Amino acid sequence: MANNVSAVYIHVLDDVISKVRDEFINYGVGEGVLNELQALWEVKMRQCGAISGNIERSALPKNAAPITPVHDLNVPYEGPAEEYETPTAEMLFPPTPLQTPIQTPLPGTNDPSMYNIPTGPSDYAPSPISDIRNSIDLKAGRPGSYMPPSPWMSQRPLGVDVNVAYDEGREEPDRGSSHQHATQDFFMNSSGKRKRDDYASHINSGGYIPQQDGSGDVTIELSLTQDVVSQVKTSSIVQDQGTADSKFLSKKAEPALMLPQHDGIHDEYDDLFHLQGVANEDYNTPGDHVELRAATPSVGTPKPSKNDAGEDDEPPLNEDDDDELDDLDQEEEETNTQHLVLALFDKVSRTKSRWKCTLKDGIMHLNNRDILFNKATGEFEF
Amino acid sequence: MRLGFRPTSFSLKYRDQRSSIGMCLTETLDEMVSTGTLSPELAYQVLVQFDKSMTEALETQVKSKVSVKGHLHTYRFCDNVWTFILQDAVFKSEDRLEQVKRVKIVACDSKLLTQ
Repeated sequence: MANNVSAVYIHVLDDVISKVRDEFINYGVGEGVLNELQALWEVKMRQCGAISGNIERSALPKNAAPITPVHDLNVPYEGPAEEYETPTAEMLFPPTPLQTPIQTPLPGTNDPSMYNIPTGPSDYAPSPISDIRNSIDLKAGRPGSYMPPSPWMSQRPLGVDVNVAYDEGREEPDRGSSHQHATQDFFMNSSGKRKRDDYASHINSGGYIPQQDGSGDVTIELSLTQDVVSQVKTSSIVQDQGTADSKFLSKKAEPALMLPQHDGIHDEYDDLFHLQGVANEDYNTPGDHVELRAATPSVGTPKPSKNDAGEDDEPPLNEDDDDELDDLDQEEEETNTQHLVLALFDKVSRTKSRWKCTLKDGIMHLNNRDILFNKATGEFEF
Repeated sequence: MRLGFRPTSFSLKYRDQRSSIGMCLTETLDEMVSTGTLSPELAYQVLVQFDKSMTEALETQVKSKVSVKGHLHTYRFCDNVWTFILQDAVFKSEDRLEQVKRVKIVACDSKLLTQ
């Protein structure tokens, strides 16, 4: 199927080029620029992995004979010799040493004899087929469809690292915020916008955190020295701070349970403190603390403190319910590995929480591959 | 130097960042315009033609049918464009199955597509 997608893309490419050819001529730009456009576009698509290496090309002769205004796409691509008349494509992919004695097999010339010589030319890597394919790619100078698309791959590690750092840096305060969920992803996300304010101040203070948001930040203080902790205690105090303080000092979760709970409402705080106790061990190292904070871009006020303040008087405000969604939105803008479907819709309908839609003529980019469809039906549960 | 025009939402769809073919074309055109090889007007013409060709190719060349199932996390309908965000979605086509934790679906109204 990947080949089929490549074939469609190539067809589109050729179609576009042939149709704009007249425009180029009208503008007086000339065929050379058009050929350059085509070559560059094709090169990029190979780099992306949008085109695999083994497809029928009927357009290459166009480069070889640029004078042909009308181009018959039905004519099968002929012979490797003409490929070398595409200087720009060739220059962009200089032949590797392995490839020197062999002609570059540009797509269309799926020459089995070249590919099926496991041990033949000593230029190639030894027998395994995968090596052959690798060497073929080297030979062709063009990444095959299984090579990772560079633009997306280059961005992916950043996203992953950030997320990992998020988890490490935000475990503790986040756990307090999200009563309902225990997953790290949620904690990371629910830290949300408010955490940014604290984050900035953390960075500036180099580990010493002046309390600026007004509520008792249990977890942050505890990661610092005792002096700071005592300072925090004198600032806006919530009863639970005492609880957390002793808990951190003892580095155990149990003391939290032994201390009287003054806020009166949310027993799940016992569980939360238990969780926080586990995470506290990480936070007791100032160095780790700083590092972990630094990695968290969307930092806000740690949640337990906010909840402490809120729950004294009223039910939780659920302020952070949408933070996950917001963070997801930001995350998707940051990473281009987002799975995406672009299509037309014929009908979208809903019955209670069951959504149905019919789509058509779409491109899907999933798991780093492109899939095209003529029709699609969707059933979603909201 | 970016191309200085505002594409329609539909045409933008295929040139979206994450659609390989559209992105490659846009990048290529950007490079050529910034080096002065290509004029912006001409680049725009190329993109317009690309939209037409892409649409036509999808209509005529592709015959596969796909089914999608998943949990709908977000739905949005604005400017005649549906945007769905699915979680734990499964895409089934004739010969393959793809599973993704999160996917965004952007769909324009097919009835408006009489350009």
